[in-house]
Amino acid sequence: MAGDYKFDTLGLHAGQSPDERFGSRAVPIHQTTSYVFEDSEHAAALFNMEIGGHIYSRLSNPTVAVLEQRLAALEGGVAAVAVASGMSALFLTVLALCSAGDHIVSSSQMYGANINLFEHTLSRYGIETTFVKPNDPDGFAAAIRPNTKIIFGEVIGNPGLDIMDVPKIAAIAEQAGVPLVLDATFNTPWLFKPLDHGANIVIHSLTKWIGGHGVAMGGAIIDGGNFDWGQNDRFPTLTSPHYAFQQVNLWEEFGPLAFTMRVRSEGMYNVGPCLSPTNAFHLLQGLETLGLRMERHMSNTQKMLAFLSAHEQIGWVRHPSLDDHPDHDVAKRLMPKGAGSIIACGVKGGRDAGRAFIESVELASHLANVGDAKTLVIHPGSTTHSHLTPQAMENAGLTDDMIRISVGLEDFDDLAADFDRALKIAGKSVGGSK
Amino acid sequence: MKIDVNGAPVFVSTGGREFDPNGTVLLLLHGSGQTHLTWMLQGRFLANRGWQVLMPDLPAHGLSGGEALTSIRDMAEWCSDLLKQSGVKRAHVIGHSQGGLVGLELASTCPDTVASLALVATALAIPVNPALLDMAQNREDKAIAAMTDWGHGRDGHFHDATLPGLDQMNFGRHLMASNESGALFADLSACASYDGGEEAARSLTCPSLCILAENDKMTPLKQGRKMAAVLTDAREIVIPGAGHMLPGEKPDEVLKALRGFLPHPG
Repeated sequence: MAGDYKFDTLGLHAGQSPDERFGSRAVPIHQTTSYVFEDSEHAAALFNMEIGGHIYSRLSNPTVAVLEQRLAALEGGVAAVAVASGMSALFLTVLALCSAGDHIVSSSQMYGANINLFEHTLSRYGIETTFVKPNDPDGFAAAIRPNTKIIFGEVIGNPGLDIMDVPKIAAIAEQAGVPLVLDATFNTPWLFKPLDHGANIVIHSLTKWIGGHGVAMGGAIIDGGNFDWGQNDRFPTLTSPHYAFQQVNLWEEFGPLAFTMRVRSEGMYNVGPCLSPTNAFHLLQGLETLGLRMERHMSNTQKMLAFLSAHEQIGWVRHPSLDDHPDHDVAKRLMPKGAGSIIACGVKGGRDAGRAFIESVELASHLANVGDAKTLVIHPGSTTHSHLTPQAMENAGLTDDMIRISVGLEDFDDLAADFDRALKIAGKSVGGSK
Repeated sequence: MKIDVNGAPVFVSTGGREFDPNGTVLLLLHGSGQTHLTWMLQGRFLANRGWQVLMPDLPAHGLSGGEALTSIRDMAEWCSDLLKQSGVKRAHVIGHSQGGLVGLELASTCPDTVASLALVATALAIPVNPALLDMAQNREDKAIAAMTDWGHGRDGHFHDATLPGLDQMNFGRHLMASNESGALFADLSACASYDGGEEAARSLTCPSLCILAENDKMTPLKQGRKMAAVLTDAREIVIPGAGHMLPGEKPDEVLKALRGFLPHPG
């Protein structure tokens, strides 16, 4: 082998060696809670993180580990921890770095649960968040405090599709000595690898494009291994003696892996949002075709943008690849293969017309997910972001007429026919186009 | 622990345990452009089983300060100073790659200090391709990428690891990038110019073990075997399927080989 394998090859092979006993080509599902120790010394060494291996599937599992190593390879990280959902990935990341009295700077335009976690849940435990517009690097710089432990955002914001200028914000984060943590769910590593552009930690909801089939929940934390946790005393959870494991200093004994080891040794031990081996298997099946699927997602997205932009029943269309999107130039620079397969649009006639459209599509499914192989539609204001306050909705760029479309892999002619028919019904419902 | 060696601050991992210089001391030496984390999956195990472990970062490597040393002989002398500074009279020395050359030189020049020598993926000489030297001097990132590529066998290239979730190749790249700029060039230059390996090996009187990698592209297996043949009473273990970054790629096999060789700590 000369050089590292390419993306599609890694997507199929990384993290797995066919097992020696049976030679299984597919990744076996290790549906087990626990693992037999060789002897008491082996058990003690595993429990004390002195050697590699598995103890109990809340902490790690061989099938899950293949998924973790494959994701690390695709993102360019030193390690990954796969968890039960994208939300648990975000929570365990915060848990590993923040304590009461600490501060987070976050994008203001994100998935509603992210905002609520920061604004309402973490604040009850003494962790404060300052929200900043994602496309305002100066705003991030101004919000950083001496007790800031994380700068966070979604590379492509949900559902407003704002694009973070990752290299610029990464430079600000590095200058301040704060890790940049990015949710890369909407871009996937096929479109953009944040770690290559200065980010330090990437999190994913694997439930979306990584799986692609909509059959398994999952999340992941990928450690870039590129942050100097020991540059000062800002990160005592990584640079002071651990309360367990014979008070190991993770930074000294694991170096670039220190953050991952904290997630594993505290988040998985004490909180335990583990990914089931069967879900890991399903997610691996999806990951094998990520490259192929993303090509089709992006080509269908381009066709859908053209279709919607020209349709008389559509009031507005928002996507970073359109010239009129405020972050178009950033998107073009960072994501030349396209800025994701989510489209936001407004159906003429407002909320009622939008409801009629959603209830009239037949091929597209009305549900609360994105990134499925099948096309999905939803009204974020009344569903995924409905728990936000009116002010938070406004901050997140949510309008009452906004429809979110997750463009799938169907034959586009069929999609166009379905949308055209449903849009005409929507128009009639509010007395619009005939 | 952090100590001062020849006026510069040095980080020495003791595997998370308090160090007793009067116990059975192990000195584990990393290779070119590496750090003490080479021994991440052996050092703490050994330290927690009664061995007194010293895993230093060479100057300008990892968490150590100071200027990079530029010859194998200087590195051996530095190790001797480190042991004296730590109150150690005698140690079992374990060296990976360049660390093996340093171990050979240390055992040759300070035979009373070295109780035994374990040589992991190394050879009597480590000639360095001039193109790699040039990269290390002028495009260190490219040199790191090339060494990480050549240094790993199948498991590394398939991103498979015994530590769940670990990507050994990417870990290796970041570990090397964490050193002071210029440290890699100093290391590779030191290896390239060292010609005392065979003489040192022939003078060795302590027990020795050669742990060799079947698919080693940097210190090829046949060179490792040549080294084993020169050493008096050396044991030889070849780890199948492994590349040069043996301690990371096959950590359990290396640990097993070391435990079979080292005296019980008592």
